[in-house]
Amino acid sequence: MKLIRLRYKKWFNISKDGLTQNNPIAIAVLGICSALAVTNRVENAIAMGLGVTFVVIASSLTVSLIRRFIPARVRMVTYMVIIASFVIVVQLFLEAYFPIIAAALGAYVGLIITNCIVMGRAEAFAAKNPMRYTFFDGLANGLGYTYVLVLVALVREILAFGTILNYQVMPDGFVNWTVMAMAPGGFFVLAIFIWIIRELTNNYELQQ
Amino acid sequence: MNQHIQMIVFVLILGAITSALLVGVDAWTEERIALNQQAELQSAILDAYEIEYTITQIAAVFEEHIEIIEIEDKIFYYHRDSGSLSFVIEGNGVWGPIIGVLTLESDLVTIKRITILQEEETPGLGGVISERWYLDKYVGREMDPALIISRSPNLANPNEVDAIAGGTRTSERFEIMINEGFQSYIAVWHAANGGQ
Repeated sequence: MKLIRLRYKKWFNISKDGLTQNNPIAIAVLGICSALAVTNRVENAIAMGLGVTFVVIASSLTVSLIRRFIPARVRMVTYMVIIASFVIVVQLFLEAYFPIIAAALGAYVGLIITNCIVMGRAEAFAAKNPMRYTFFDGLANGLGYTYVLVLVALVREILAFGTILNYQVMPDGFVNWTVMAMAPGGFFVLAIFIWIIRELTNNYELQQ
Repeated sequence: MNQHIQMIVFVLILGAITSALLVGVDAWTEERIALNQQAELQSAILDAYEIEYTITQIAAVFEEHIEIIEIEDKIFYYHRDSGSLSFVIEGNGVWGPIIGVLTLESDLVTIKRITILQEEETPGLGGVISERWYLDKYVGREMDPALIISRSPNLANPNEVDAIAGGTRTSERFEIMINEGFQSYIAVWHAANGGQ
């Protein structure tokens, strides 16, 4: 019975929204630039996903906390300053504790600042909702972004390098599909994923 | 008017708090980031001499095998067992600085290994400069009288190397960077050691 009641809880619906019905990548098609760039290896996708998840939770919580004080005219600037600060924190943290991943992600960590998911959640949700719901919204959107990235990266890494998290999984005679490591591979796999997720959630863009 | 003052006060407070946060995080991570960069340089040098190490004890291994000699502001990394030298070379690439480590054989003319620590060249074209398969082409080449990076090298000449396909300007700048770095360091080294 508890499972059925879960469907009426607000936090549950907010989380479900971010993960499926309003998945930032598959449905809203936001944050595609970084999704294409860092999905050539699973470890990069995980690091990038966790980085974005942290930034979207932290910045949304901060925006939600001070939402009554933010002057309407400077609200976009305020979001940018808050988001940029958290992104720099993530960047310094990666450089200090995970230098190899930081080098592999390169400029893309800094580019979380311009990731539309983060800005979008601040404006669309955090600015109007209390902190406890904002937390679930940020978490769900961050994880919604992360799992699509990891799934895409799984396919690309297996085909491009024959490995998962650098462990060899394909037999010795396997010929690497170099195209999967490059940008076109990202487009192919991501497009197929968006198609699958939209089919599963019955999301169709009907012409008016 | 009141509204404007409120806005300015808000922006100032926001700026102060975020700056404080960033200064704090920077102070917290500064030391580790410096250590990581040092480890990157050390691993480039140890790899050139094929010395084994693990990332946790790299500093100790480095100290055991490599002597740091400073002459006239130039830092040389001297391999005690073989008498080979490594030093850091820097130059301007197409989009930003290129920093690398040049390791010479004990004759101080033959290239043992080049590692690129930092570059911002065009990915896929000039960016090939930091990849091992390209840098391996420099192994065994000689700096006498100067290294020539050419589109159609005569590999019978020991001082010619194949340029990067699609990275002509990067190749040109890399050639200048290697030769200038080599000459300035080796001149100082010979002057101090009375060699040649």
